[in-house]
Amino acid sequence: FDQLWGQQMVDLMQTKHILSEYPEDPPEIRLGPNFADAPNCSPEIFRCTINKIPDTNTLLQKSRLPLGILIHPFKDLNYLPVIQCTTIVRCRACRTYINPFVYFVDGKRWKCNLCYRVNDLPEEFQYDPVSKSYGDPTRRPEIKSATIEFIAPSEYMLRPPQPAVYLFLLDVSQIARESGYLELVCGIIKEHLEQLPGDARTQIGFICYDAHIHYYVISDGLTRPQELTVLDIDDVFLPSPESLLVNVGEQRDMVRELLTQIPRRHSVPGSPASALGAALQAAYKLMSPTGGRITVFQTCLPNIGPGALQSREDPNARSSKEVAHLNPATDFYKRLALDCSGAQIAVDLFLLSSQYCDLATLSGMSKFSGGSVYHIPVFNASRPRQAAHLRNMFTRYLTRKIGFEAVMRVRCSRGITIHTFHGNFFVRSTDLLSLPNVSPDAGFGMQLTIEESLSDLQQVCFQAALLYTSSKGERRIRVHTMALPIATTLSDVLHAADQTCIVGLLSKMAVDRCVTASMSEAKEALINVAIDVLSAHKLSQNLPAGPASSSLMAPMSLRLLPMYLLALMKTKALRTGTSTRLDERVAAMCDLKCQPLALLLRTVYPDLYPIHTLEQHTHKDEVEEEEVNPDPPRLQLTSERINLNGAYLLDDGETMVIYVCNAVSPAFLSEIFGVAAFSQLPDEATTLPHLDNKSNALLHAFIDKLNDDRPYPSNLIILRDNSPTRTKFTERLIEDRVESAFSYYEFLQHVKSQVK
Amino acid sequence: MATYEEFIQQNEDRDGIRFTWNVWPSSRIEATRLVVPLVSLYQPLKERPDLPPIQYEPVLCTRNTCRAVLNPMCQVDYRAKLWVCNFCFQRNPFPPQYAAISEQHQPAELIPNFSTIEYTITRAQSMPPIFLLVVDTCLDEEELGALKDSLQTSLSLMPQNALVGLITFGRMVQIHELGTEGIYKCYVFKGTKDLSAKQIQEQLSIGRVNVPNPQQRQGAPQPHPPVHRFLQPVKQCDMALTDLLSELGRDPWPLGVGKRPLRSSGVALSLAVGLLEVTYPNTGARIMMFLGGPCSQGPGQVVNDELKQPIRSHHDIHKDNAKYMKKAIKHYEALAFRSATNGHAIDIYSCALDQTGLMEMKQCCNSTGGHMVMGDSFNSSLFKQTFQRVFSKDQKGDYKMAFNGTLEVKCSRELKISGAIGSCVSLNVKGPCVSDQEVGMGNTCQWKMCTFTPSTTMAIFFEVVSQQAAAVPAGGRGCVQLITNYQHSSGQRRIRVTTIARNWADPAVNLPHIAAGFDQEAAAVVMARLVVYRADHEDGPDVLRWLDRMLIRLCQKFGEYAKDDPNSFRLSENFSLYPQFMYHLRRSQFLQMFNNSPDETTFYRHMLMREDLTQSLIMIQPILYSYSFGGPPEPVLLDTSSIQPDRILLMDTFFQILIYHGETIAQWRALRYQDMPEYESFAQLLRAPVDDAQEILQSRFPVPRYIDTEHGGSQVFMPA
Ligand SMILES: [Zn+2]
Ligand SMILES: [Zn+2]
Repeated sequence: FDQLWGQQMVDLMQTKHILSEYPEDPPEIRLGPNFADAPNCSPEIFRCTINKIPDTNTLLQKSRLPLGILIHPFKDLNYLPVIQCTTIVRCRACRTYINPFVYFVDGKRWKCNLCYRVNDLPEEFQYDPVSKSYGDPTRRPEIKSATIEFIAPSEYMLRPPQPAVYLFLLDVSQIARESGYLELVCGIIKEHLEQLPGDARTQIGFICYDAHIHYYVISDGLTRPQELTVLDIDDVFLPSPESLLVNVGEQRDMVRELLTQIPRRHSVPGSPASALGAALQAAYKLMSPTGGRITVFQTCLPNIGPGALQSREDPNARSSKEVAHLNPATDFYKRLALDCSGAQIAVDLFLLSSQYCDLATLSGMSKFSGGSVYHIPVFNASRPRQAAHLRNMFTRYLTRKIGFEAVMRVRCSRGITIHTFHGNFFVRSTDLLSLPNVSPDAGFGMQLTIEESLSDLQQVCFQAALLYTSSKGERRIRVHTMALPIATTLSDVLHAADQTCIVGLLSKMAVDRCVTASMSEAKEALINVAIDVLSAHKLSQNLPAGPASSSLMAPMSLRLLPMYLLALMKTKALRTGTSTRLDERVAAMCDLKCQPLALLLRTVYPDLYPIHTLEQHTHKDEVEEEEVNPDPPRLQLTSERINLNGAYLLDDGETMVIYVCNAVSPAFLSEIFGVAAFSQLPDEATTLPHLDNKSNALLHAFIDKLNDDRPYPSNLIILRDNSPTRTKFTERLIEDRVESAFSYYEFLQHVKSQVK
Repeated sequence: MATYEEFIQQNEDRDGIRFTWNVWPSSRIEATRLVVPLVSLYQPLKERPDLPPIQYEPVLCTRNTCRAVLNPMCQVDYRAKLWVCNFCFQRNPFPPQYAAISEQHQPAELIPNFSTIEYTITRAQSMPPIFLLVVDTCLDEEELGALKDSLQTSLSLMPQNALVGLITFGRMVQIHELGTEGIYKCYVFKGTKDLSAKQIQEQLSIGRVNVPNPQQRQGAPQPHPPVHRFLQPVKQCDMALTDLLSELGRDPWPLGVGKRPLRSSGVALSLAVGLLEVTYPNTGARIMMFLGGPCSQGPGQVVNDELKQPIRSHHDIHKDNAKYMKKAIKHYEALAFRSATNGHAIDIYSCALDQTGLMEMKQCCNSTGGHMVMGDSFNSSLFKQTFQRVFSKDQKGDYKMAFNGTLEVKCSRELKISGAIGSCVSLNVKGPCVSDQEVGMGNTCQWKMCTFTPSTTMAIFFEVVSQQAAAVPAGGRGCVQLITNYQHSSGQRRIRVTTIARNWADPAVNLPHIAAGFDQEAAAVVMARLVVYRADHEDGPDVLRWLDRMLIRLCQKFGEYAKDDPNSFRLSENFSLYPQFMYHLRRSQFLQMFNNSPDETTFYRHMLMREDLTQSLIMIQPILYSYSFGGPPEPVLLDTSSIQPDRILLMDTFFQILIYHGETIAQWRALRYQDMPEYESFAQLLRAPVDDAQEILQSRFPVPRYIDTEHGGSQVFMPA
């Protein structure tokens, strides 16, 4: 009976193998009869922490679950219906876009599913552009798809759509020169100049900075690029009114030439100073007439001019229980970002540091301008793994889709409001986010409040509308609509919980808590979630009270929550007791705040696969029978699952660690790595050889398959179980006990003792 | 004995010097009663191709307070190998290398003919000259194109070892790096913010370029001159600079409606001065600034960018209504002083239809000896030829410009030096021969001349200090020695020494003798310089009144007349032209503002204060020649009576060459008689003044405006 209604329970204390071998779908959304077959939004795009919305705030509070939604609004999609029409049908009252969950009163009118106003249906809407015939409005793509994109008519533009404008800000201080990044990055830009998203209007520009600011002019009148150096960093100005941003198509050769010259010009020993703040002011001045994207490469602490910073990190405190300096040291970068946001400019930061750079402060430039932060600690281009990492990361960055001068509005059914947003943006009004740039890799979270009783509703709807300018200069609106049924009982609520989504939202909330309160408070709050939710469950099931029982019951829907929460507390962002550089911690926090859920979850709880038995877990590809599709089961992150004769792949999204145990078979060693003995494996390898045998091909196929679902290929590290750096693998076995943190079992015991 | 006229000419030819008085009054009081002061006009670099090359150093008087140079006026005891200083009477032994001298075997400096002699100091480090181009880019395409052509040409005219640099300016100022590989590189400065030399040094991280110690290069090959990335030898960077210049564009900042370009001349010049100051102090260098309009922002601003606000006129200045003037003058005076202190000259080539602020900038040229050129367009032959002429060479193939010079004057005890007027600054060197009474730039016996040419002429004022005539021995002579130490365009350090002597006479008993030695031409030029110097430092009609008073006093002193009979007034021949000079001077553009802009006045005065006597006289009193069939051209009066229908007039005002065709001539010319073989003589008549004009145009600096007009023509012909 329980199974039928999706209300199974599990005793966490008794269930060692709690992680299912293959990823599970989120709890199914079952809408009422009118909309049982309506297409809902993909959970990869739009997702709620509870797939049945409690009908009252009281019920929600009882469940102790966080209520919120996660959205990945500009995700790369294989299929996206795009509509060009003269009138976009929207509710006259609340401006909701017509969607699969509206009610057609008759052939001429529709009722808004967010505010319930009845609206007229324009004549045009009767026409089905697909079948090219008049008739049933439900055949319209707007009704048949929960995700749709409109090409916006001119009333959606405040000004003509901006061209794609890309400005690169390159640190050329001494540390930057030593890191060797410049040659690499300029090379990558040069390689991908053609692939930059854009049209005939696309512009590009470069500014280098050390103690001074170096601008570059490319113009028809000049046979070579011109470097204009401005020495005065306290009173930033543009040295030329034109030609600092140039048309990529018209000046491709000169841009290439410049990209060859820039690393050459900055190859000799340089200045120890880095005037990032002044360079940003310059970039803002340059970009503000058009808007666009500023890409900053920074390698050291900006130490001169406006926005100069001083080191705040105490290396001796890297493993202490509380973490200081998570707040910005100055609001300079935030203010600048807000100026940028106002001018439709986003600032993306690539922090390739070899020393503390105060990312807690610098990240402000991206956070409030709708940009992104990328961090490779202790970067040096001479290290192949880091060079490859930067290459992969930056190539994706350059070539991925981009939306300009975007705003995103999220509408909710009446009775529900959004109270907190997570991600990188500026909140322009209560439900409107300013996103000067929107990237397909950016995720957002929103916490919700139930303000009115929803008990007379059949369903609750959320609609996210992203209005942006495509790189081709088209104004477009991407609309995602999600409908969720209503829950009226506590048990219903708990069993409809989406534990993955909950962890996603909680991680964002925890990061905020670290900054506004403290690390320990944030972690205590996370533990309390597990305790409270399981207490609520106990209550809902009328289970005997008190800790006397030896069991700790959890609904199936929440059985992984304690494990995920424990994993979250052991991430770089939130861990204590393990030496963690402040910048790396802050970078991890930034990731938690704006990664899409799938990536975020893998960061929190990496996937672990056995790879010594890959052949047992393959199935033939349906189309081409020759090919095999390796699909090994996931393992829980505990050393109990590591066999001495095995080899494992741990995938946290950024890195795949292949961990080879000492008793692995010689055949495996020779087939996979081409070595005869375990001892011949290097301490740390970064590439997997291509060998002409099935096992090797299978492993490559498997890695390729994993890489397929992420923005760019992950790093690869191959370790022996006695390599000096094996902790890169073992520290991720989060169910084991480490110095100052619970093992999973200890954690469960602690939770059990607290559950009322 | 030769006439005084011949004597004066001889002295000028040999020594480049003229005195207002060639017989000197022997007492202070009597001297002041002569009205025209005792002044020498001296050309330190007068062309003397006949001078022998002297490769040793001058022998100096050993008295510390004297240090006069051995010269033909010294008494020499060949047996004792001693010489007596003619200034302080110190007995000096000859240095050992003079052991072989005898009455028959004299060193050049003792031969009376070599009262002017030039030494080349081989011991000193040879430094090539430095040219720093400072180029306005707020020009229209045609103007900029023409200027760029001229600049390109100048690269081939410069000494090939010269160091050259480029600064461009418009709304901002760019200092260009030369010869940077693969890229054009420049540093950009805001046009509204001045930088001290120290800031330039720090920000550009450049320092003083160390001149290698000459002692260390004995026998060793000549090392490359020390350079840095902003100033490089022409032969090394001319390709890069040619490219850079050819791709130099107009100031790219958009121009609003009704706006002037924002032009940062003040900061550009300041950066140029600062750049040289921190890299090559006390080395010959010239900043060559090309200006197409007024400075309209920042330090040195002379006008704002609103076109409806015209630049100040004489009227505005008079009414104290020139808002930017005083501050701008202060800015440029400070630059002029810094530049002069470091031995660097500033040329300003101003080509624009309106004023560019030369009036405010004048000290930059006046103090440093730099050229001031005023034209309408960089595309005019006036500018193009004038600019090329900067690089002209003398008979020996040497550039006519000298650099980083000092002029030191020594004189007999009966005289003291009260000052100098010319393109120089005082070096503030006091000495026993410096007078308390100051005329022009006084209180010193040394002046700096950052650059000068053979025509550069200094007026040096002397004061007779003997209290009574008896103090001067009868038949005794007073001496003056002028020592010019400079950097020759070849880089050599040279010292030119001119020593002259004149007889003393007591005016109280022998006034005619003194009057006979009066040089009215020199006197006119000196009075012109004096009055203009006063006008530059004072203002208003007082100056004219002073000039009139001086003339009257001179006439009273030297004129012969019967009481109450104006018709009886006579002046002797060597005074007779002087009143006319004064008449023209007081009506000249130097003193009359009407119809001239402040910039024009500045430019005219600038030329008057530096040119040699002949040219200065033309400026004061233009020359008018009349051409007719009747015979060779003849000088005629500057009077409308000279305008005749069958005459052609050629007028030379120094700044303008004007040919005027009388009514009949003009008609014939219009009928093209000159093309008909039977009227060959008419063709010749037409050609004669043109040929003469060409001759003047060929040699004059700056190239004058050339105007061809006729009876009823658009050009107003005003001979007087
Ligand atoms: Zn509505
Ligand atoms: Zn002496």
